[in-house]
Amino acid sequence: MRRLRVVAGAAAASWLFSFGAGAAGTDSDIPTPYLPSTTVAVDEMLRFADVGPADLVVDLGSGDGRVVIAAARDYGARGLGIELDPKLVQEGKANAQQAGVAHRVTFRHGDVLVADYRDATVITLYLLPNLVDRLKPRLLELRPGTRIVAHDYGFSDWKPDRRIVISKTYLLYVVPARVAGKWRLHFSQPEGEREYEFDLAQQYQEIHGGARVAGGYLPAFEARLNGDRIAFVLVDNGVSHRFEGRVQGSALLMEGTVRSGVGRNLDTGAWRATRVVPGASEG
Amino acid sequence: MRGERRKASSRAATLGGLGLALLGVLAAQPACAAEGREPAVPYVPTPQVTVDEMLRIANVGPQDFVLDLGSGDGRIVITAARKFGARGLGVDLDSGLVAEADGNAREAGVESRVRFLEQDLFDTDLGQATVIATYLLPFVMLKLRPRLLQLKPGTRIVSHDFDLGEWRPDRKTYVRKNVFLWVVPAPVAGRWQARLRIPPLERHLELELTQRYQELSAHARLNGVPAQVWEATLAGDRLSFVVVDTTDRENEASLYFEGKVSGSVIEGELIRGVGAARSVTGWRAVRRQL
Repeated sequence: MRRLRVVAGAAAASWLFSFGAGAAGTDSDIPTPYLPSTTVAVDEMLRFADVGPADLVVDLGSGDGRVVIAAARDYGARGLGIELDPKLVQEGKANAQQAGVAHRVTFRHGDVLVADYRDATVITLYLLPNLVDRLKPRLLELRPGTRIVAHDYGFSDWKPDRRIVISKTYLLYVVPARVAGKWRLHFSQPEGEREYEFDLAQQYQEIHGGARVAGGYLPAFEARLNGDRIAFVLVDNGVSHRFEGRVQGSALLMEGTVRSGVGRNLDTGAWRATRVVPGASEG
Repeated sequence: MRGERRKASSRAATLGGLGLALLGVLAAQPACAAEGREPAVPYVPTPQVTVDEMLRIANVGPQDFVLDLGSGDGRIVITAARKFGARGLGVDLDSGLVAEADGNAREAGVESRVRFLEQDLFDTDLGQATVIATYLLPFVMLKLRPRLLQLKPGTRIVSHDFDLGEWRPDRKTYVRKNVFLWVVPAPVAGRWQARLRIPPLERHLELELTQRYQELSAHARLNGVPAQVWEATLAGDRLSFVVVDTTDRENEASLYFEGKVSGSVIEGELIRGVGAARSVTGWRAVRRQL
């Protein structure tokens, strides 16, 4: 059986040799040497990103198409490859035909710094650090919850949500919702309604803040942000309230469930917060 | 409101509050030297929110037996019974507190599921617990550590403020105070061998593990060829690791091992590859030497 050696692999036109070649700002004009990922690396990236049939996997620097083809063939996803080298774009299309997934993958000739890939749910990249960092502002604009998998090189100041090492280092980033600012937090409890003024500061997915209450401040403990999912704990009058919820698309509203008390039978109520003043966003 | 009662009592270096307690060690030393017991500290109960968080991160449930070393007024064991459905035992050196805890248990209606004993924690059988709660001075924690490590793999230990030194917690949360969780790791150090049935080829795995608490260092050979071991983790008796299988150069893939350690046998599931090419088999390894 002929193994689709060219087809089955992973990504990536690499900007390897343009790095440090005095090409600042003109990376994309430099012919890009092509350094394909190994089969195992393609597998790990897709597994790590937990790719499934509902995903659109966009490979930035798609080379011969191996990442998006594997995503379509092995995980039932749809794929889009963006590649600067027109010959590799043609090769990717041919490889997709051969793998029988041409209907589910697309290859586009283009520059990753200007191409439109806003429908992505998963981004894979294997690019050099300077280009990764230049992509960052665009990636942060993607829908919260979009997963970004990089291998070898990640962002210089954005810490990965997860990291694994299997022969190579794989980094997973989840695009965070923008939650910085002042919120008005409302929640219902058996004793009645409560309202706090709630502040959040944010550095990528790291958040901290707390609630202003009459005569004090309740720090938000264990505050976590994963895409559009937010969780934190407020301790008021010796009772812990565990908030979990979702940031809505507009980033002007978040809502969810709050569980109060101890043990297996917690009081469950609803909470909702509306943003009063947006905070400065990072990146 | 939570009662911040503080009273001096001879207690096996068990703490209820931080700074005061440290002062108290010195203050209470003479009294307890006279009794020939462990250094005593004043009794400052753990805030209820911290009790809740300890029991929550230990994932206490009806199957659990919670042992509190230095149980004070009994709040940890009583909360475990009342709110989490567990059973429990608290030991404390102070007979007055033991009586108080008994009273509190009756008041909470859980006296059938909890017990309190006037007893030194070092004379206590730790093996009966599935969850051990502690709030002990660092030197007592270190003295206790070797005994904790010998407990049944999977036993959970929770503490707050003070940790177990170089035995790093498996989990840590911060809700007003630092709360730590450890899971007693299975002893896995040694040389292991397994025959892996991955059609069409059979592979022979040799695995050498060294262990420091739950942290592992691992080396493998696959059909005699050295292979690196990645992401080796041990949580209680659950072992997992990854080896990249290059036996068939045309068909390389990762081998994801997961297994349960019992004595000198590891048994579990082996996944080769990912996505549509994924195959699952069982695997079993036997320890050849320590």
